[in-house]
Amino acid sequence: MSTPVIKYVGRTTNFKGKTLWEIVGSLKNLGVGRVIVRSVFERYPEPSFMKIVKVETCPDEEPRKVRVWVEKTFRGRKLPNLTEIYSTSYKADYKLIPKNEEEALFASVNEAHKQPEVILPNIIEMPPLMKKFIVNDHEKKGLEPMKEFVMQLTYNHSPNRVQRIAKPGEKPTVDFTMGLGKPASPSLYEGVPLN
Amino acid sequence: MISHNALLKRTWPVIVQYAEAHRKPRWVPVAKSKIYRIPKRPEITEEERIELLRVNNNYKTQMRAIRRFYHEEMIKEKSTRESSSSEMSQKLEADDWQRCVEINDKWNAQVALEREERRKKELAKMEEYALARMEAKDRELKERIEKASQEIRKQKELSKTFITPENLDAAIDHALANPVDYNFAIDLQGNQYLGRESPAIPPKHKTTPKAV
Repeated sequence: MSTPVIKYVGRTTNFKGKTLWEIVGSLKNLGVGRVIVRSVFERYPEPSFMKIVKVETCPDEEPRKVRVWVEKTFRGRKLPNLTEIYSTSYKADYKLIPKNEEEALFASVNEAHKQPEVILPNIIEMPPLMKKFIVNDHEKKGLEPMKEFVMQLTYNHSPNRVQRIAKPGEKPTVDFTMGLGKPASPSLYEGVPLN
Repeated sequence: MISHNALLKRTWPVIVQYAEAHRKPRWVPVAKSKIYRIPKRPEITEEERIELLRVNNNYKTQMRAIRRFYHEEMIKEKSTRESSSSEMSQKLEADDWQRCVEINDKWNAQVALEREERRKKELAKMEEYALARMEAKDRELKERIEKASQEIRKQKELSKTFITPENLDAAIDHALANPVDYNFAIDLQGNQYLGRESPAIPPKHKTTPKAV
C-alpha cells in the first residue's frame, strides 16, 4: 500500500493549524481547560497561549465558527479579563497543546524573556516644511507665533499592548522623528548616505 | 481628404491619448484563460521585511500625528470663530437695539408734541361748543320766558272780558239783547246780505263789511 500523496493547489497562506471548532468540537466537554495556541503569535520570543474557559456552539449559519472564552496570555503577559473569540474563530490557525506539554509551556512564561520596557512618546516634532507653513500661516492670521513645534501622538488602545505610553512628565525610551530614522537592516542602505 | 499643410497647421493634436484602466470590471468573473492561474506570492527577504515594517509603521505614526494636529486645529478655529462671531453679533445686536430705542424716543417726543397741540385745539373747540350751547340754551329760555310773560299779559288783558259768575246775568242779557245771525249771503266784494230770520238791513257802506 502506497502512502497517499497530498498535493495542495491554490494560494498559500501563513496560517498553520485548524479552525477552533475543529479542535474544540472533537474534544471531551468541548475542550474546557485545554490550552490552544495561535500559530501567528509564535513569531514573538515570549510565549502566547490561551486556556479555554467556556465554549458556546453556534447555529448552522456559521458552520466554521464557535464562541469561546479564554484566559489569554499574550507575549508572556496574562490579560486580566477573559477574552471572547468569535470573529476570528474560523481562522485555520489554532493548535491544540497536548496535555503533557502544557506544564512546559506554563513554565516558559516565568523564564527570563524580559526585554527592557518600552515607553512610547506622547509628542512628535513637526516636519520641516510644516513648521515653515505654520509660521507663515500664524503671521498671516495675526496669531502669536508657535514656540514648540510639536504634535500630539495617538495610539490605538488594545489590551494586547506591550509597549507603554508615557505618562505626563515621564521620559520616553524611544523617540519618533520625522526623518528616516535608524534602519532596521543597514545592509539595504549600503552606499546610501544617511545624513 | 485633409491636406498635409492643414495637418501641420492644426492647433490641437489629432491623436488624443486616454489613460484608461486596462482591467476587467470587478463584477465580471475570472477569465477562462486565468481560472487555473495561481499568482506567486511575493518573496521578501527578512531584512527587507523588517525594514519595510519599520518604515511603514513610522509613516503611519507621523501621518496620524499630522492628521490629529490639523483636526484639533480645525476644531479650535471653528470654536474661536463661533465664539467671536457670537460676541460680534451680540455687540451688533446691542448697537442696533440702542439705535432703535433712540429713534423710538424721538418719534414718541414728536407724537407727544403733536398730541398736545391737538388736545389743546380739541379742548378749545369743545369749550366753544359748550359755550355756544349754553348761550343758545339761555337764549331759548329767555325767549320762552318772554313768550310766556307776553301770553300772561295778553291773557290778563283778555281776562277783563271773561264771563264770570258775577257778570253771567249781564252777559246773558247782553246776548239776548243782541242776537247775531250768521246765516247770511255774501257777494264778490264781501258784502253781507242778512235777512232770513233777522230783519234785513241794507248795507250802509258797500266796501267795508261789517265785522262780526
